Amino acid sequence: MNFFKLKKNILNSLTHIILIAVSLTCLFPVFWMISSSLKKQSEIFTNMSLLPETWQFVNYKDAFLTADFGMYFLNSVIYTVVGVAAIVLITSMAAYGFARLDFWGKNILFYLLISTLLIPIPGAFVPLYLLLKSLHLLDTRTGLLLCYISGGIAFGLFLLKSFFEELPKEIEEAALIDGCSRFGIYWRIALPLAKPAIATLVIIQCLNIWNEFLLALVVLQDTSKMPIQRGLMVFQGTHMTDYPLLMAGLTIATIPIVIIYLFMQKHIVKGIAAGAIKG
Amino acid sequence: MMKATSKEKTFNMVFILPALILFLVFNLYPLLRTFQLSFYQWNGIDKDMIFVGFAQYKHIIFNNPAYWKSMLNAGYITLLCLTLQNGLALLLALLVNRQIRGENIYRVIFFLPPVLSGIVVGLIWKFIYDGNFGILNNWLVSLGFTSFSDFAWLSEIKTALSSVAVVHMWKGFGYGFIILLAGLQTIPTELYEAAEVDGADKWQQFINTTVPSLIPVFTMVTILTILGAMQIFDLIYSMTQGGPAGHTDVPITKIYQYMNNGEFGYSTAMAVIFGLVLLIVSMIQLYASKKINK
Amino acid sequence: MLKKQSFFKIVLSLAVCISFLAACSQNQEGGSGKSGNDNNADVVKIWHWMTDRQAAFETLAKKYFDQTGVKVVFETYAPTDVYKNKITAAASGKLLPDIFNPIADKRELASYINAGYIADLTDAMNDGWKDVFFEKSLTQNMFTDNNEWNVKPGIYGVPLDVSTLMIYYNKDLFTKAGLDPEKPPKTWAEFIEAGKKLKAAGIQPFVCGFGEAWLIGSFAASYQWSLFGKEGIIDTIKGKIPYTDKRWLEIFNLFKEMKDNKMFASGIVTMVNKDAERTFAIGKAAMALNGSWGVNVYKSMNPSLNYGLMYPPELPDAKYPLLVFGGDGSSLFVNEMSPRKEKAIAFLKWFTQKEQQVFLAKETLNIPSNKDAAQDLPDILKKFSESVNRTFDTLPVLEAWQVTNYINLNLQSVVIGEKTPEQAIAEIQGEKERQTKK
Repeated sequence: MNFFKLKKNILNSLTHIILIAVSLTCLFPVFWMISSSLKKQSEIFTNMSLLPETWQFVNYKDAFLTADFGMYFLNSVIYTVVGVAAIVLITSMAAYGFARLDFWGKNILFYLLISTLLIPIPGAFVPLYLLLKSLHLLDTRTGLLLCYISGGIAFGLFLLKSFFEELPKEIEEAALIDGCSRFGIYWRIALPLAKPAIATLVIIQCLNIWNEFLLALVVLQDTSKMPIQRGLMVFQGTHMTDYPLLMAGLTIATIPIVIIYLFMQKHIVKGIAAGAIKG
Repeated sequence: MMKATSKEKTFNMVFILPALILFLVFNLYPLLRTFQLSFYQWNGIDKDMIFVGFAQYKHIIFNNPAYWKSMLNAGYITLLCLTLQNGLALLLALLVNRQIRGENIYRVIFFLPPVLSGIVVGLIWKFIYDGNFGILNNWLVSLGFTSFSDFAWLSEIKTALSSVAVVHMWKGFGYGFIILLAGLQTIPTELYEAAEVDGADKWQQFINTTVPSLIPVFTMVTILTILGAMQIFDLIYSMTQGGPAGHTDVPITKIYQYMNNGEFGYSTAMAVIFGLVLLIVSMIQLYASKKINK
Repeated sequence: MLKKQSFFKIVLSLAVCISFLAACSQNQEGGSGKSGNDNNADVVKIWHWMTDRQAAFETLAKKYFDQTGVKVVFETYAPTDVYKNKITAAASGKLLPDIFNPIADKRELASYINAGYIADLTDAMNDGWKDVFFEKSLTQNMFTDNNEWNVKPGIYGVPLDVSTLMIYYNKDLFTKAGLDPEKPPKTWAEFIEAGKKLKAAGIQPFVCGFGEAWLIGSFAASYQWSLFGKEGIIDTIKGKIPYTDKRWLEIFNLFKEMKDNKMFASGIVTMVNKDAERTFAIGKAAMALNGSWGVNVYKSMNPSLNYGLMYPPELPDAKYPLLVFGGDGSSLFVNEMSPRKEKAIAFLKWFTQKEQQVFLAKETLNIPSNKDAAQDLPDILKKFSESVNRTFDTLPVLEAWQVTNYINLNLQSVVIGEKTPEQAIAEIQGEKERQTKK
């Protein structure tokens, strides 16, 4: 018994050593960002220590005010919440369809829908711009949101289809026999079962939309509709970068994403299949 | 699954309809428009577009070795990612999944690199690699490798591409990690319980239960890794701009370069060729994983 | 478990409701159809990419409103690439603002003009307006008779400031290496000698953002002007002088000589200019080729930096004067399609008057395009403003960008020792021949 205990302890320590080593490389940039956000501009490249000479907490206030974060923040929240919710709904429905149901042209349609993962055209924003113009959606939140949502379809579909296919079919078949509609099965059984995958999709899409700014800047004209990334631009001049304020701004802009992640990753938990049967 | 009647087949389309409509309007239409551009010589501004047929395609295929070199560079980064990045992501997902102490903390920490802004990542890694006061060289010198005192990792032909690849892997492994973790968590616990009843030890459980259940998710992660690594752009643009002398150029930096120099049509032709290459690579990958699955 | 599930669905349903609400409220907004080219709004809109000047721009816009009642709005977007994308998209949708800058070379500028996006300002300029500017700052936006691009001759842009490239040197580091801080090297031989001394003292002699291709190209171009002269450069572009000419070999050998003497800062070939500026500002390199904007950058990074300015060192056998890269720093163009064209021109006239230019120069530490305003500048900027007269002439023809790109890439190759100067020029000539054939 002692031998097994020892072996287990060694294995556990080894696990922790690997995990801690990787963690350190992930944490260092965060500490650096925060420490730089508390330094003075003249100090940022001369003082290599992570501790600032004097703690410039005022940087955060300055960054928030200079970047007009108050205004942009709400916009970003709207784009992210609405965009991600729509992506989750639309793609989970379609992914369920592709994974479980039979219909015309199934395979071709699937590959067609995920084909946008393959062709990255840097100039594609021009036809998109003209399209939005002809739909009278230029400079509207709806237009930008539709771009974001359609931009997330291919990835969401690709991710969720694999997960739906892996779910045990037996529960669904039982429900079907019990007289549950197809939509009912998707909504009440498949969707909750795929919670870990959905949580993953939410995290990744939140990140995408929250950090996006090229499309937002091209599609929107009215500054009051622009997302939080617009605010960060103020600190990165063509020749001058205000590093402390930029880092303070980046820290502020990163916090909501970390919170979303903290919240969502709790849903990537074990034992769902068992739970569903009991529930 | 039961065979669907043709009425059901039509009704089932409702599930994919919203996605399909959005795709047709906002993805396919712009895509076809750009595809059309690839047959024209156009700078994006001029009133007149000159139709040149396949001339630009021909030129790319036969007279643009730098573009194909950039494809190889991306291929090299992709190979590194497939092995090292995915290996690390899988290892970490398995370790964290063992329900060890601090599991939640690790989960949060490992997803920090993807969450961090590209600006911070570019800046910090340039600090690490810097030849003069870089953290890496400092460290190497203190370990006794004094020849590294002014070694510029990003400017040496031998190390530039690998150094960029390391940053890409570091920034990307978090994605693989959470997707694989979600995959591990979706494996029904019954399967393990059943295996335990059969007297399988941990290793056998891993080989006979975890691995087969994880293959579809792993295939997906692999394809996403390939697509992500082949389409690498931001990091290269912020760290080396394709230098030294084009040694870290990748397809997208090349496409971007042509577009910024008023070669709108030509750059879309480059993008179409790139798309075809990616399509072929993904097909091979899908085919291979199907073989393994059997 | 049930509780968890219902919570999950409530969140989803809530989100759906929000999306419908958002979509509805949008439809009302969308009805008014606001856009960059809106006829109703009586506001002159300007797009610019220098976000660090936003505050100064706004101050002036407010002053203009107080004086004339005309509202001017500056919108700045960065980074430059994003700004450029926005301009391209807006042009394709014919929704450019009243005043903008396409950040284009002459070839591309010609496209904008020929497509009818940019107004001809010649008449307004001939009204005495053009006399307030440095002549060099106008040439970039001027098209002469029979130009290569068939643009109607005239002046099309209003220069806002001028900038040139010179070599900054750190006086303290010069002293430390035993060099006279008041006598920077004038000739190439002195330059190499200074480099050796600096290197011996453990100081990196030279830094520049060579990762940005145009900077390494500009350094070489100074010597191209000095060895070939204007006619020689035109003949090279026209293909009458090959790139294998021995003067080109000489230029490439300059870079090789610097490399052999270890004058380049570590990692120079992949440095963007911001990195190079940082290296110089914290005293990690003694000399830096940089633009006049550097004055402001160095001031913010290291206020106590003690530096002087010098021209790129002269070659002994040069037949022509050595010139430096420079000209208009940023210019503004009026949208030909704008219904507020006259208002836009009137504002730009006011904007380039001495008083406003002095204010801008003081606030942003740049050289104003207005000659009179350049009189009361700090010493170091004055030196820069004097160099405006020694900048490259505008050429009637442009080299194919692929060839220019090849030159820059091969310069990088020589700096990292991948190619010899002989190999480099042979390859450039090869690319030149490919482009001529096409």
